[in-house]
Amino acid sequence: MTPETILVQSLGGLARAGVLFMLAAGLTLVFGALRVINFAHGSLYMVGAFVGATIVLRTSGNFWLALIAAPLVVALLGGLIEVSVLRRIYRREHLIQLLATYSLVLIVGDLVRLIWGAQYLSISVPNIFAESVQVAGQPLPLYNLVIITFACVTAVALWALFYRTGLGRDIRGAVSDPEMLGLVGVNVPALFTAVFMIGAFVAGLAGVIIAPSTSVGLGIDVETVVEAFAVTVIGGLGSFVGALIGAVIIGQVEAFGIMWVPRAALAFVFLAMAIVLGLRPYGLFGEPER
Amino acid sequence: MRTALRSQTTATPRSRIVLSAVAALIALALPLLLQESELLLVVEMLVLALWAVSYNLLLGYTGLVSFGHAAYYGVGAYTVALLWSKYGISPLIGLVASAAVTAIISFFTGLFCLRSVRLYFALLTLAVSQVMFTIVFEWYDFTGGDNGIHGIELPGFLSSAPNLYFFVLVVSVVCMLIIKAIVNSPFGGALLCIRENRQRAAFIGIDVKRYELIAFIISSTFSGIAGGLYAFYDRQVFAGLLNWTKSAEPVLVSLIGGMYSFFGPAVGAALFIFLNAFLTRYTTYSALALGALLLMLALVFPGGLAELASLARARLLRRGQHELETDETAAAQPTASERKP
Repeated sequence: MTPETILVQSLGGLARAGVLFMLAAGLTLVFGALRVINFAHGSLYMVGAFVGATIVLRTSGNFWLALIAAPLVVALLGGLIEVSVLRRIYRREHLIQLLATYSLVLIVGDLVRLIWGAQYLSISVPNIFAESVQVAGQPLPLYNLVIITFACVTAVALWALFYRTGLGRDIRGAVSDPEMLGLVGVNVPALFTAVFMIGAFVAGLAGVIIAPSTSVGLGIDVETVVEAFAVTVIGGLGSFVGALIGAVIIGQVEAFGIMWVPRAALAFVFLAMAIVLGLRPYGLFGEPER
Repeated sequence: MRTALRSQTTATPRSRIVLSAVAALIALALPLLLQESELLLVVEMLVLALWAVSYNLLLGYTGLVSFGHAAYYGVGAYTVALLWSKYGISPLIGLVASAAVTAIISFFTGLFCLRSVRLYFALLTLAVSQVMFTIVFEWYDFTGGDNGIHGIELPGFLSSAPNLYFFVLVVSVVCMLIIKAIVNSPFGGALLCIRENRQRAAFIGIDVKRYELIAFIISSTFSGIAGGLYAFYDRQVFAGLLNWTKSAEPVLVSLIGGMYSFFGPAVGAALFIFLNAFLTRYTTYSALALGALLLMLALVFPGGLAELASLARARLLRRGQHELETDETAAAQPTASERKP
């Protein structure tokens, strides 16, 4: 393995990390504030990819419209899910919550099949990003760098939202003590809906962004949510920084695992998760469950 | 009045004997009543029922959530298949070996996973099982990779569907009764104590980690036997048996049936297999229907079928009590004083 291939491979891993981070950020946000493990997060991502790809195909290549509209659609779907399902189960045990979100995975998956059928949608990379750049003498798809940029922008935007706005202050309050937050006059149920919609929006955004670089088909929901889970758990459930670092770790583990044993990349992901949890039972930045 | 009371107190065991006798009769008559394909569906139910009941020893009785129990189920199935295909060993011996192999493996994985608690324990079991899945999936030379192992030959007497049914019936029922005996033993009581409050359990001198590890091994071992029985039923094994999607099955089934009742998961298993067969036959959108049912369960009856049953029983009892009260109002009083002399 030459230094050049290592560089190119790790940049590919960073692009993967970017997508995983966008999903893990939503998962960890929803867990932190709502205390729900949202297994249906991958389904939201899949809906984002399908809606985004459909918009691009119908408008003959308007990627930017898809980038705005599809996440909004997903956010609305997320709001619907929060109000109709999650709101009823906040006080239940984790397992019942997991059962509910698991059933949502089944329902959303079949609804997507009902609407789009079982075929794959593929859209091309927007023209301005379609080229490759030379990195250390090796070709690297420019779109990989675009994904990394998008992920960074998302990270900064989320950080600004949490730490520079009133809504963000309320969300942080909900993470540490929702009851107290309610007592000081914040409409906590509405806040929870907003939090879930933000998570859904980012998941939808990730779906649109990934759509040009892969073929969009059924099954990407579960495939991705498992990896995003690994990221969230390695970082520590509820930790934003953890999601970022976990994503980078898993992205790299995958990129280099694929070079070593091509079909066992997922095993390396879980091996990494087992090792991290073995050393730190609550993940890198997690806190013991309250 | 006394006799009436006495007959009431002995009513439970007698009704239980009657119930068991009726169940046994139905079980014996099933091969006469059902077609072969339907009988095989019952075999599938029995396998899943045993798996779910052994899983529920962890979930419902110890309060440990494992998301990776398919690993032990799959190892059990592969033990039977590999011993047959590599060494020509009879699946009957393979079934015994599957218990031993899963017991040994689960000792080490349990030791590792139990370092974490609660949610993180669950995720560790998931991680470990996925690593085991990938090993089976990738190790072509030994396990056949994603081709799996096909055409397992059973001993001659198991070639007919009714005989296979009786064999699986006997093995699974005996295993479930052993688990029931474990649950009812002092050891089972200690597990319940751990489920309710780990800290208090430790205070009264229970070695929590050790008990949890033993429960984990017992549960995994019987899951391995269930997996071995699966190899008898399907006569083939494939890597998907260890995958996390398979791990979801005992969890779902336990929740459907009710994890705080011993046979709840078994009833849930029967319903789950039936629903799956029924839905896939009549609709192409079976996941949608199953998802809607599960969602309803989670929102309305989080206690599963067992909760439904106890609600119905309570309503019946209330009606009965009402009649009793109008008959002899004083009936409740003496019993209360008799109980605490």
